[in-house]
Amino acid sequence: MFILEAHKLKKSYLEKGQSIAAVQAVSLTIAAGEVLAFLGANGAGKTTTIKMIAGLIRPDDGWVRIAERDPHQDPRARRSLGAVLEGSRNVYWQMTVEENLEYFGVLRGLDTRTARRRGRELLERFSLMHKRRTAVQALSRGMQQKLAIAVALMHAPQVLLLDEPTLGLDVEATEDVKRLVREIAAEGCGILLTTHQLEVAEELSDRVAIINRGKIVAEEATEDLIRQFSGSAYLIETEGAIDLNRIRKLRRLGVKLVGDRTVYTVDPAKLYEVLEILCPLPLMHVEKDQANLTDVFLKLVQENRHA
Amino acid sequence: MLRLFWAELKRNWLLFKRYPTEAISGVLGITIIFYGLFLSFKYVGGAGMQFGDRLDAVIVSYVLWSLTLFVIGDIAQGLQREAQTGTLEQIFLSPFSAMWVFLLRAIASLTTQLALTVSTLVLIMWLTGTRLSFSPILLLPLGTVLLGAYGFALGIGALALLIKQVQQLLGIFQFMLFFVLLVPIESWAGQYQFVGWFLPMSPGAGLLREIMARGHTLDLTQFAIALVNGLVYFGLGLLAFHWAERRVKQHGKLAGY
Repeated sequence: MFILEAHKLKKSYLEKGQSIAAVQAVSLTIAAGEVLAFLGANGAGKTTTIKMIAGLIRPDDGWVRIAERDPHQDPRARRSLGAVLEGSRNVYWQMTVEENLEYFGVLRGLDTRTARRRGRELLERFSLMHKRRTAVQALSRGMQQKLAIAVALMHAPQVLLLDEPTLGLDVEATEDVKRLVREIAAEGCGILLTTHQLEVAEELSDRVAIINRGKIVAEEATEDLIRQFSGSAYLIETEGAIDLNRIRKLRRLGVKLVGDRTVYTVDPAKLYEVLEILCPLPLMHVEKDQANLTDVFLKLVQENRHA
Repeated sequence: MLRLFWAELKRNWLLFKRYPTEAISGVLGITIIFYGLFLSFKYVGGAGMQFGDRLDAVIVSYVLWSLTLFVIGDIAQGLQREAQTGTLEQIFLSPFSAMWVFLLRAIASLTTQLALTVSTLVLIMWLTGTRLSFSPILLLPLGTVLLGAYGFALGIGALALLIKQVQQLLGIFQFMLFFVLLVPIESWAGQYQFVGWFLPMSPGAGLLREIMARGHTLDLTQFAIALVNGLVYFGLGLLAFHWAERRVKQHGKLAGY
Protein backbone atom coordinates (compact mmCIF):
# COMPACT_ATOMS: atom_id res chain seq x y z
CA MET A 1 0.00 0.00 0.00
CA PHE A 2 1.62 3.22 -1.17
CA ILE A 3 0.84 6.55 0.45
CA LEU A 4 2.44 8.42 -2.43
CA GLU A 5 2.16 7.45 -6.07
CA ALA A 6 3.39 9.52 -8.97
CA HIS A 7 2.68 8.00 -12.36
CA LYS A 8 4.42 8.95 -15.60
CA LEU A 9 4.73 12.63 -14.75
CA LYS A 10 5.73 14.83 -17.65
CA LYS A 11 6.56 18.50 -17.76
CA SER A 12 7.99 20.66 -20.52
CA TYR A 13 8.79 24.34 -20.46
CA LEU A 14 9.03 26.79 -23.28
CA GLU A 15 12.39 28.50 -23.43
CA LYS A 16 13.11 30.98 -26.20
CA GLY A 17 10.36 29.42 -28.29
CA GLN A 18 11.70 25.89 -27.81
CA SER A 19 10.07 23.18 -25.72
CA ILE A 20 12.45 21.79 -23.09
CA ALA A 21 11.44 18.48 -21.49
CA ALA A 22 12.17 18.94 -17.79
CA VAL A 23 10.57 15.70 -16.59
CA GLN A 24 9.82 12.71 -18.81
CA ALA A 25 7.50 9.95 -17.61
CA VAL A 26 8.74 9.92 -14.02
CA SER A 27 7.03 7.39 -11.75
CA LEU A 28 7.69 7.11 -8.02
CA THR A 29 6.08 5.35 -5.09
CA ILE A 30 6.58 5.62 -1.35
CA ALA A 31 5.15 3.32 1.29
CA ALA A 32 4.37 4.36 4.87
CA GLY A 33 7.55 4.66 6.95
CA GLU A 34 9.79 4.52 3.89
CA VAL A 35 12.51 7.04 3.01
CA LEU A 36 13.08 7.43 -0.71
CA ALA A 37 16.20 9.38 -1.66
CA PHE A 38 15.52 11.20 -4.89
CA LEU A 39 18.88 12.10 -6.36
CA GLY A 40 19.96 14.02 -9.40
CA ALA A 41 22.37 16.67 -10.57
CA ASN A 42 21.29 20.31 -10.70
CA GLY A 43 18.66 20.76 -13.41
CA ALA A 44 17.95 17.01 -13.62
CA GLY A 45 14.25 17.54 -12.84
CA LYS A 46 14.12 16.85 -9.09
CA THR A 47 12.50 20.10 -8.00
CA THR A 48 9.97 20.08 -10.85
CA THR A 49 8.99 16.51 -9.89
CA ILE A 50 8.67 17.36 -6.20
CA LYS A 51 6.57 20.41 -6.98
CA MET A 52 4.31 18.38 -9.27
CA ILE A 53 3.86 15.93 -6.41
CA ALA A 54 3.06 18.79 -4.03
CA GLY A 55 0.51 20.27 -6.43
CA LEU A 56 2.56 23.42 -6.99
CA ILE A 57 3.30 22.70 -10.66
CA ARG A 58 0.68 21.17 -12.91
CA PRO A 59 2.03 18.20 -14.90
CA ASP A 60 1.51 18.11 -18.68
CA ASP A 61 0.70 14.43 -18.32
CA GLY A 62 0.58 11.75 -15.64
CA TRP A 63 -0.98 11.82 -12.19
CA VAL A 64 -0.18 12.02 -8.49
CA ARG A 65 -2.00 10.38 -5.57
CA ILE A 66 -1.29 11.26 -1.97
CA ALA A 67 -3.19 8.97 0.37
CA GLU A 68 -5.32 8.13 -2.68
CA ARG A 69 -6.16 11.75 -3.41
CA ASP A 70 -5.00 13.93 -6.29
CA PRO A 71 -3.38 17.13 -4.92
CA HIS A 72 -4.19 18.92 -8.19
CA GLN A 73 -7.91 18.23 -7.91
CA ASP A 74 -8.69 17.56 -4.27
CA PRO A 75 -7.43 20.08 -1.64
CA ARG A 76 -7.88 17.38 1.04
CA ALA A 77 -4.80 15.66 -0.43
CA ARG A 78 -2.76 18.55 0.96
CA ARG A 79 -3.83 17.59 4.50
CA SER A 80 -1.72 14.45 4.05
CA LEU A 81 1.32 16.33 2.78
CA GLY A 82 4.05 18.36 4.47
CA ALA A 83 6.95 19.96 2.65
CA VAL A 84 10.20 21.74 3.40
CA LEU A 85 11.30 23.28 0.14
CA GLU A 86 14.84 24.24 -0.72
CA GLY A 87 15.63 27.87 -1.44
CA SER A 88 12.61 28.95 0.59
CA ARG A 89 12.39 30.20 4.11
CA ASN A 90 9.26 28.11 4.64
CA VAL A 91 8.42 30.10 7.80
CA TYR A 92 7.88 33.76 8.74
CA TRP A 93 11.10 35.25 10.03
CA GLN A 94 9.45 38.18 11.79
CA MET A 95 7.31 35.88 13.92
CA THR A 96 8.48 33.80 16.85
CA VAL A 97 8.93 30.03 16.76
CA GLU A 98 5.71 29.46 18.70
CA GLU A 99 3.70 31.90 16.58
CA ASN A 100 4.86 30.19 13.37
CA LEU A 101 3.85 26.77 14.62
CA GLU A 102 0.40 27.94 15.66
CA TYR A 103 -0.23 29.93 12.48
CA PHE A 104 0.88 27.18 10.10
CA GLY A 105 -1.03 24.59 12.13
CA VAL A 106 -4.25 26.49 11.49
CA LEU A 107 -3.26 27.09 7.85
CA ARG A 108 -2.94 23.31 7.49
CA GLY A 109 -6.45 22.80 8.85
CA LEU A 110 -6.01 22.35 12.63
CA ASP A 111 -8.13 24.24 15.16
CA THR A 112 -6.28 26.77 17.31
CA ARG A 113 -6.24 24.63 20.46
CA THR A 114 -4.92 21.55 18.64
CA ALA A 115 -2.35 23.70 16.82
CA ARG A 116 -1.12 25.08 20.15
CA ARG A 117 -0.91 21.62 21.75
CA ARG A 118 0.78 20.06 18.73
CA GLY A 119 3.17 23.04 18.56
CA ARG A 120 4.26 22.43 22.17
CA GLU A 121 4.80 18.72 21.48
CA LEU A 122 7.00 19.52 18.51
CA LEU A 123 8.90 22.22 20.41
CA GLU A 124 9.81 19.61 23.03
CA ARG A 125 10.68 16.99 20.48
CA PHE A 126 12.79 19.30 18.30
CA SER A 127 14.54 20.79 21.39
CA LEU A 128 13.25 24.26 20.55
CA MET A 129 11.23 24.90 23.70
CA HIS A 130 13.79 27.38 25.08
CA LYS A 131 13.58 29.35 21.82
CA ARG A 132 9.79 29.39 21.53
CA ARG A 133 9.54 33.17 22.03
CA THR A 134 12.51 34.01 19.80
CA ALA A 135 11.90 35.55 16.37
CA VAL A 136 12.95 33.11 13.64
CA GLN A 137 15.42 35.60 12.17
CA ALA A 138 17.43 35.41 15.41
CA LEU A 139 17.77 31.61 15.28
CA SER A 140 20.76 29.69 13.94
CA ARG A 141 20.44 28.12 10.47
CA GLY A 142 20.13 24.68 12.06
CA MET A 143 17.30 25.78 14.34
CA GLN A 144 15.51 27.49 11.46
CA GLN A 145 15.68 24.26 9.51
CA LYS A 146 14.42 22.24 12.45
CA LEU A 147 11.54 24.69 12.81
CA ALA A 148 10.71 24.38 9.09
CA ILE A 149 10.50 20.59 9.52
CA ALA A 150 8.40 20.98 12.68
CA VAL A 151 6.03 23.34 10.83
CA ALA A 152 5.70 20.78 8.00
CA LEU A 153 4.79 18.14 10.59
CA MET A 154 2.19 20.21 12.46
CA HIS A 155 -0.77 18.45 10.85
CA ALA A 156 0.88 15.00 11.14
CA PRO A 157 1.07 14.42 7.38
CA GLN A 158 1.44 10.94 5.91
CA VAL A 159 3.97 12.15 3.34
CA LEU A 160 6.83 14.56 3.94
CA LEU A 161 8.81 16.15 1.12
CA LEU A 162 12.26 17.23 2.25
CA ASP A 163 14.19 19.17 -0.35
CA GLU A 164 17.84 19.52 0.75
CA PRO A 165 17.08 19.45 4.49
CA THR A 166 20.75 19.46 5.56
CA LEU A 167 22.03 22.04 3.09
CA GLY A 168 24.25 24.62 4.80
CA LEU A 169 23.98 23.02 8.24
CA ASP A 170 26.94 22.38 10.53
CA VAL A 171 27.84 18.85 11.64
CA GLU A 172 25.78 18.93 14.82
CA ALA A 173 22.68 20.34 13.15
CA THR A 174 23.03 17.82 10.29
CA GLU A 175 23.14 14.97 12.82
CA ASP A 176 20.06 16.43 14.54
CA VAL A 177 18.12 16.60 11.28
CA LYS A 178 19.18 13.06 10.34
CA ARG A 179 17.99 11.77 13.71
CA LEU A 180 14.65 13.52 13.24
CA VAL A 181 14.20 12.11 9.73
CA ARG A 182 14.80 8.58 11.05
CA GLU A 183 12.33 9.12 13.90
CA ILE A 184 9.64 10.59 11.65
CA ALA A 185 9.96 7.68 9.21
CA ALA A 186 9.87 5.18 12.08
CA GLU A 187 6.50 6.64 13.08
CA GLY A 188 5.09 5.73 9.68
CA CYS A 189 5.52 8.91 7.65
CA GLY A 190 6.73 8.33 4.09
CA ILE A 191 9.59 10.68 3.22
CA LEU A 192 10.78 11.85 -0.16
CA LEU A 193 14.27 13.20 0.41
CA THR A 194 16.36 15.08 -2.09
CA THR A 195 19.92 15.98 -1.29
CA HIS A 196 23.28 16.53 -2.91
CA GLN A 197 24.92 15.15 0.23
CA LEU A 198 24.97 11.55 -0.92
CA GLU A 199 26.34 10.21 2.34
CA VAL A 200 23.21 11.61 4.03
CA ALA A 201 21.01 9.91 1.44
CA GLU A 202 22.91 6.64 1.86
CA GLU A 203 22.51 6.76 5.62
CA LEU A 204 18.83 7.64 5.68
CA SER A 205 17.19 6.04 2.68
CA ASP A 206 15.52 2.69 2.22
CA ARG A 207 15.35 3.17 -1.52
CA VAL A 208 17.02 5.41 -4.05
CA ALA A 209 15.69 6.89 -7.27
CA ILE A 210 18.19 8.64 -9.52
CA ILE A 211 16.95 11.13 -12.08
CA ASN A 212 19.06 12.29 -14.99
CA ARG A 213 17.90 14.72 -17.67
CA GLY A 214 14.31 14.28 -16.57
CA LYS A 215 14.32 10.46 -16.64
CA ILE A 216 14.62 7.95 -13.81
CA VAL A 217 17.80 5.97 -14.53
CA ALA A 218 17.75 3.78 -11.41
CA GLU A 219 15.27 2.97 -8.69
CA GLU A 220 16.10 0.28 -6.17
CA ALA A 221 16.62 -0.50 -2.53
CA THR A 222 19.70 1.46 -1.42
CA GLU A 223 21.58 -1.64 -0.24
CA ASP A 224 20.88 -3.57 -3.45
CA LEU A 225 21.98 -0.70 -5.62
CA ILE A 226 25.23 -0.28 -3.73
CA ARG A 227 25.84 -4.05 -3.79
CA GLN A 228 25.41 -4.09 -7.57
CA PHE A 229 28.08 -1.48 -7.99
CA SER A 230 30.43 -2.98 -5.40
CA GLY A 231 33.29 -5.23 -6.52
CA SER A 232 34.31 -8.57 -5.02
CA ALA A 233 37.93 -7.62 -4.38
CA TYR A 234 39.56 -7.43 -0.92
CA LEU A 235 42.24 -5.12 0.36
CA ILE A 236 44.50 -6.25 3.20
CA GLU A 237 46.86 -3.87 4.94
CA THR A 238 49.55 -4.91 7.40
CA GLU A 239 50.89 -2.82 10.23
CA GLY A 240 54.54 -3.24 9.24
CA ALA A 241 56.37 -3.95 5.99
CA ILE A 242 55.87 -7.44 4.49
CA ASP A 243 59.15 -9.42 4.31
CA LEU A 244 60.62 -10.60 0.97
CA ASN A 245 59.81 -14.29 1.55
CA ARG A 246 56.10 -13.51 1.96
CA ILE A 247 56.15 -11.12 -0.98
CA ARG A 248 57.45 -13.91 -3.22
CA LYS A 249 54.71 -16.27 -2.01
CA LEU A 250 52.04 -13.64 -2.59
CA ARG A 251 53.29 -12.99 -6.11
CA ARG A 252 53.19 -16.70 -6.84
CA LEU A 253 49.55 -16.68 -5.67
CA GLY A 254 48.82 -14.01 -8.29
CA VAL A 255 47.63 -11.21 -6.02
CA LYS A 256 48.60 -7.58 -6.42
CA LEU A 257 50.92 -5.76 -4.01
CA VAL A 258 50.76 -2.01 -3.54
CA GLY A 259 53.84 -0.74 -1.70
CA ASP A 260 55.31 -3.04 0.93
CA ARG A 261 52.26 -3.40 3.21
CA THR A 262 49.10 -3.52 1.05
CA VAL A 263 47.76 -6.60 -0.71
CA TYR A 264 44.88 -6.46 -3.19
CA THR A 265 43.08 -9.58 -4.35
CA VAL A 266 40.41 -9.53 -7.04
CA ASP A 267 39.55 -13.19 -6.44
CA PRO A 268 37.72 -13.48 -3.10
CA ALA A 269 38.59 -17.21 -2.93
CA LYS A 270 42.23 -16.25 -2.41
CA LEU A 271 41.55 -14.15 0.68
CA TYR A 272 42.24 -16.89 3.21
CA GLU A 273 45.37 -18.06 1.36
CA VAL A 274 46.66 -14.48 1.55
CA LEU A 275 45.84 -14.34 5.24
CA GLU A 276 47.66 -17.67 5.78
CA ILE A 277 50.80 -16.29 4.10
CA LEU A 278 50.64 -13.09 6.13
CA CYS A 279 50.06 -14.92 9.44
CA PRO A 280 51.17 -13.92 12.13
CA LEU A 281 51.94 -10.34 10.92
CA PRO A 282 49.76 -7.77 12.68
CA LEU A 283 47.01 -6.47 10.32
CA MET A 284 45.79 -2.89 10.11
CA HIS A 285 42.57 -3.76 8.30
CA VAL A 286 40.83 -6.07 5.85
CA GLU A 287 38.26 -4.39 3.66
CA LYS A 288 35.90 -5.48 0.91
CA ASP A 289 35.79 -3.24 -2.14
CA GLN A 290 32.51 -1.53 -1.32
CA ALA A 291 30.97 1.14 -3.52
CA ASN A 292 29.12 4.02 -1.94
CA LEU A 293 26.17 6.00 -3.20
CA THR A 294 28.49 8.66 -4.60
CA ASP A 295 30.23 6.04 -6.83
CA VAL A 296 26.86 4.65 -7.92
CA PHE A 297 25.45 8.07 -8.63
CA LEU A 298 28.48 9.23 -10.64
CA LYS A 299 28.64 6.01 -12.65
CA LEU A 300 24.95 6.10 -13.53
CA VAL A 301 24.89 9.78 -14.39
CA GLN A 302 28.08 9.55 -16.48
CA GLU A 303 26.87 6.41 -18.29
CA ASN A 304 23.66 8.17 -19.21
CA ARG A 305 25.50 11.29 -20.25
CA HIS A 306 27.53 9.28 -22.76
CA ALA A 307 24.58 7.15 -23.88
CA MET B 1 -12.60 29.32 7.43
CA LEU B 2 -13.43 31.29 10.58
CA ARG B 3 -10.47 29.64 12.36
CA LEU B 4 -8.19 30.76 9.58
CA PHE B 5 -9.60 34.29 9.77
CA TRP B 6 -8.79 34.45 13.50
CA ALA B 7 -5.30 33.13 12.80
CA GLU B 8 -4.83 35.81 10.14
CA LEU B 9 -6.20 38.46 12.50
CA LYS B 10 -3.76 37.37 15.18
CA ARG B 11 -0.86 37.28 12.72
CA ASN B 12 -1.77 40.76 11.48
CA TRP B 13 -1.98 42.14 15.02
CA LEU B 14 1.35 40.55 16.00
CA LEU B 15 3.13 42.10 13.02
CA PHE B 16 1.41 45.44 13.59
CA LYS B 17 2.51 45.47 17.23
CA ARG B 18 6.05 44.55 16.25
CA TYR B 19 6.37 47.19 13.51
CA PRO B 20 3.96 50.04 14.42
CA THR B 21 6.04 52.92 13.03
CA GLU B 22 5.21 52.10 9.41
CA ALA B 23 1.46 52.27 10.04
CA ILE B 24 1.68 55.42 12.16
CA SER B 25 3.88 57.21 9.64
CA GLY B 26 1.29 56.25 6.99
CA VAL B 27 -1.48 58.02 8.94
CA LEU B 28 0.68 61.11 9.43
CA GLY B 29 1.77 61.10 5.77
CA ILE B 30 -1.78 60.93 4.39
CA THR B 31 -2.94 63.65 6.82
CA ILE B 32 -0.03 65.98 6.04
CA ILE B 33 -0.54 65.61 2.26
CA PHE B 34 -4.21 66.47 2.61
CA TYR B 35 -3.51 69.41 4.90
CA GLY B 36 -0.91 70.68 2.46
CA LEU B 37 -3.44 70.51 -0.39
CA PHE B 38 -6.08 72.16 1.80
CA LEU B 39 -3.78 75.08 2.70
CA SER B 40 -2.76 75.50 -0.95
CA PHE B 41 -6.38 75.76 -2.11
CA LYS B 42 -7.12 78.21 0.71
CA TYR B 43 -4.18 80.36 -0.36
CA VAL B 44 -5.27 80.30 -4.02
CA GLY B 45 -8.91 81.01 -3.11
CA GLY B 46 -8.07 83.90 -0.81
CA ALA B 47 -9.00 84.64 2.80
CA GLY B 48 -12.77 84.83 2.22
CA MET B 49 -13.04 81.47 0.48
CA GLN B 50 -15.78 79.12 1.70
CA PHE B 51 -15.63 75.43 0.77
CA GLY B 52 -19.07 74.51 2.15
CA ASP B 53 -20.14 70.86 1.76
CA ARG B 54 -17.61 70.43 -1.08
CA LEU B 55 -14.78 70.24 1.46
CA ASP B 56 -16.72 67.61 3.41
CA ALA B 57 -17.25 65.61 0.22
CA VAL B 58 -13.57 65.89 -0.71
CA ILE B 59 -12.52 64.74 2.76
CA VAL B 60 -14.80 61.69 2.54
CA SER B 61 -13.43 60.84 -0.93
CA TYR B 62 -9.82 61.42 0.09
CA VAL B 63 -10.02 59.21 3.18
CA LEU B 64 -11.91 56.58 1.21
CA TRP B 65 -9.18 56.75 -1.43
CA SER B 66 -6.48 56.12 1.17
CA LEU B 67 -8.46 53.14 2.53
CA THR B 68 -9.14 51.54 -0.87
CA LEU B 69 -5.55 52.18 -1.93
CA PHE B 70 -4.46 50.11 1.04
CA VAL B 71 -7.01 47.36 0.33
CA ILE B 72 -6.12 47.15 -3.36
CA GLY B 73 -2.37 47.02 -2.77
CA ASP B 74 -2.58 44.63 0.17
CA ILE B 75 -2.94 41.27 -1.63
CA ALA B 76 -0.45 42.11 -4.39
CA GLN B 77 2.16 43.46 -1.95
CA GLY B 78 1.60 40.48 0.33
CA LEU B 79 2.12 38.12 -2.59
CA GLN B 80 5.28 39.94 -3.65
CA ARG B 81 6.64 39.79 -0.11
CA GLU B 82 5.85 36.08 0.19
CA ALA B 83 7.50 35.37 -3.16
CA GLN B 84 10.58 37.37 -2.11
CA THR B 85 10.95 35.74 1.28
CA GLY B 86 10.09 32.25 0.03
CA THR B 87 6.93 31.49 1.98
CA LEU B 88 4.51 31.75 -0.96
CA GLU B 89 4.56 28.03 -1.75
CA GLN B 90 3.70 27.15 1.83
CA ILE B 91 0.45 29.12 1.40
CA PHE B 92 -0.34 27.09 -1.71
CA LEU B 93 0.31 23.87 0.23
CA SER B 94 -2.58 24.67 2.55
CA PRO B 95 -5.83 22.72 2.15
CA PHE B 96 -7.49 26.15 2.03
CA SER B 97 -7.47 27.77 -1.39
CA ALA B 98 -4.66 30.33 -1.64
CA MET B 99 -7.16 32.85 -2.97
CA TRP B 100 -9.23 32.63 0.21
CA VAL B 101 -6.11 32.73 2.39
CA PHE B 102 -5.04 36.00 0.78
CA LEU B 103 -8.56 37.40 0.85
CA LEU B 104 -9.03 36.55 4.53
CA ARG B 105 -5.61 38.01 5.23
CA ALA B 106 -6.60 41.23 3.46
CA ILE B 107 -9.88 41.41 5.41
CA ALA B 108 -7.99 40.79 8.66
CA SER B 109 -5.57 43.60 7.92
CA LEU B 110 -8.54 45.85 7.08
CA THR B 111 -9.48 45.84 10.76
CA THR B 112 -6.24 47.54 11.77
CA GLN B 113 -6.38 49.71 8.65
CA LEU B 114 -9.91 50.88 9.53
CA ALA B 115 -8.64 52.03 12.92
CA LEU B 116 -5.84 53.93 11.17
CA THR B 117 -8.28 55.39 8.62
CA VAL B 118 -10.59 56.65 11.36
CA SER B 119 -7.53 58.25 13.03
CA THR B 120 -6.65 59.94 9.72
CA LEU B 121 -10.23 61.18 9.33
CA VAL B 122 -10.34 62.55 12.86
CA LEU B 123 -7.00 64.32 12.36
CA ILE B 124 -8.14 65.88 9.05
CA MET B 125 -11.47 66.98 10.57
CA TRP B 126 -9.62 68.57 13.47
CA LEU B 127 -7.16 70.38 11.17
CA THR B 128 -9.83 71.66 8.76
CA GLY B 129 -12.59 72.29 11.32
CA THR B 130 -14.99 70.01 9.40
CA ARG B 131 -17.91 68.14 10.94
CA LEU B 132 -19.08 64.92 9.24
CA SER B 133 -22.05 62.80 10.17
CA PHE B 134 -21.32 59.21 11.18
CA SER B 135 -24.13 56.69 11.16
CA PRO B 136 -24.11 52.86 11.17
CA ILE B 137 -25.92 52.98 7.80
CA LEU B 138 -22.57 54.11 6.33
CA LEU B 139 -21.37 50.55 6.57
CA LEU B 140 -23.66 49.57 3.68
CA PRO B 141 -22.19 51.83 0.97
CA LEU B 142 -18.73 51.34 2.51
CA GLY B 143 -19.26 47.60 2.08
CA THR B 144 -20.01 48.04 -1.64
CA VAL B 145 -16.84 50.11 -2.10
CA LEU B 146 -14.83 47.47 -0.25
CA LEU B 147 -16.32 44.69 -2.40
CA GLY B 148 -15.10 46.48 -5.51
CA ALA B 149 -11.76 47.22 -3.83
CA TYR B 150 -11.27 43.53 -2.96
CA GLY B 151 -12.16 42.63 -6.54
CA PHE B 152 -9.37 44.92 -7.75
CA ALA B 153 -7.07 43.61 -5.01
CA LEU B 154 -7.58 40.07 -6.31
CA GLY B 155 -7.10 41.27 -9.89
CA ILE B 156 -3.80 42.98 -9.10
CA GLY B 157 -2.89 40.02 -6.89
CA ALA B 158 -3.43 37.82 -9.97
CA LEU B 159 -1.03 40.03 -11.89
CA ALA B 160 1.47 39.84 -9.03
CA LEU B 161 1.26 36.04 -9.22
CA LEU B 162 2.02 36.14 -12.93
CA ILE B 163 4.59 38.91 -13.21
CA LYS B 164 5.68 39.21 -9.55
CA GLN B 165 6.53 42.93 -9.73
CA VAL B 166 3.50 45.23 -9.74
CA GLN B 167 4.89 48.21 -7.83
CA GLN B 168 4.85 50.53 -10.85
CA LEU B 169 1.37 49.41 -11.81
CA LEU B 170 0.10 50.15 -8.31
CA GLY B 171 1.63 53.61 -8.58
CA ILE B 172 -0.28 54.32 -11.80
CA PHE B 173 -3.39 52.70 -10.41
CA GLN B 174 -3.62 55.06 -7.47
CA PHE B 175 -4.31 58.00 -9.81
CA MET B 176 -7.07 56.09 -11.59
CA LEU B 177 -8.48 55.26 -8.18
CA PHE B 178 -8.33 58.94 -7.25
CA PHE B 179 -10.55 59.67 -10.24
CA VAL B 180 -13.15 56.93 -9.64
CA LEU B 181 -13.52 57.80 -5.96
CA LEU B 182 -13.56 61.58 -6.29
CA VAL B 183 -15.69 61.90 -9.42
CA PRO B 184 -19.11 63.19 -8.29
CA ILE B 185 -21.29 60.70 -10.17
CA GLU B 186 -24.14 61.40 -7.73
CA SER B 187 -24.56 64.79 -9.45
CA TRP B 188 -24.35 63.37 -13.00
CA ALA B 189 -27.52 63.09 -15.05
CA GLY B 190 -28.75 61.26 -18.16
CA GLN B 191 -26.32 58.99 -20.00
CA TYR B 192 -23.42 60.19 -17.81
CA GLN B 193 -25.23 58.82 -14.78
CA PHE B 194 -25.49 55.47 -16.59
CA VAL B 195 -21.74 55.52 -17.28
CA GLY B 196 -21.13 56.35 -13.61
CA TRP B 197 -22.89 53.16 -12.52
CA PHE B 198 -20.25 51.10 -14.29
CA LEU B 199 -17.22 52.89 -12.86
CA PRO B 200 -15.61 50.69 -10.20
CA MET B 201 -16.49 51.73 -6.64
CA SER B 202 -17.88 55.10 -7.81
CA PRO B 203 -21.56 54.45 -6.94
CA GLY B 204 -20.65 53.43 -3.35
CA ALA B 205 -18.30 56.39 -2.97
CA GLY B 206 -21.03 58.73 -4.21
CA LEU B 207 -23.49 57.33 -1.66
CA LEU B 208 -20.97 57.83 1.15
CA ARG B 209 -20.51 61.47 0.17
CA GLU B 210 -24.28 61.99 0.08
CA ILE B 211 -24.72 60.57 3.59
CA MET B 212 -21.59 61.83 5.35
CA ALA B 213 -21.07 65.23 3.75
CA ARG B 214 -24.58 66.27 2.69
CA GLY B 215 -26.60 64.56 5.42
CA HIS B 216 -28.87 62.67 2.97
CA THR B 217 -30.53 59.36 3.86
CA LEU B 218 -29.60 56.13 2.11
CA ASP B 219 -31.22 55.87 -1.33
CA LEU B 220 -32.09 52.17 -1.72
CA THR B 221 -32.02 52.20 -5.53
CA GLN B 222 -28.59 53.83 -5.54
CA PHE B 223 -27.48 51.33 -2.91
CA ALA B 224 -28.69 48.40 -5.06
CA ILE B 225 -26.70 49.80 -8.00
CA ALA B 226 -23.62 50.21 -5.79
CA LEU B 227 -24.02 46.65 -4.49
CA VAL B 228 -24.31 45.13 -7.96
CA ASN B 229 -21.31 47.21 -9.03
CA GLY B 230 -19.27 45.93 -6.07
CA LEU B 231 -20.34 42.30 -6.61
CA VAL B 232 -19.46 42.39 -10.31
CA TYR B 233 -15.95 43.75 -9.71
CA PHE B 234 -15.46 41.31 -6.81
CA GLY B 235 -16.56 38.39 -9.02
CA LEU B 236 -14.21 39.51 -11.79
CA GLY B 237 -11.37 39.64 -9.24
CA LEU B 238 -12.11 36.07 -8.08
CA LEU B 239 -12.10 34.84 -11.67
CA ALA B 240 -8.84 36.65 -12.46
CA PHE B 241 -7.06 35.22 -9.41
CA HIS B 242 -8.32 31.71 -10.13
CA TRP B 243 -7.16 31.96 -13.73
CA ALA B 244 -3.75 33.32 -12.71
CA GLU B 245 -3.26 30.52 -10.17
CA ARG B 246 -3.93 27.87 -12.82
CA ARG B 247 -1.68 29.59 -15.31
CA VAL B 248 1.22 30.08 -12.91
CA LYS B 249 1.04 26.40 -11.87
CA GLN B 250 0.94 25.41 -15.52
CA HIS B 251 4.08 27.42 -16.21
CA GLY B 252 5.82 26.40 -12.99
CA LYS B 253 6.40 30.03 -12.02
CA LEU B 254 4.82 30.09 -8.58
CA ALA B 255 8.01 30.43 -6.60
CA GLY B 256 9.86 32.61 -9.06
CA TYR B 257 10.56 36.22 -8.32
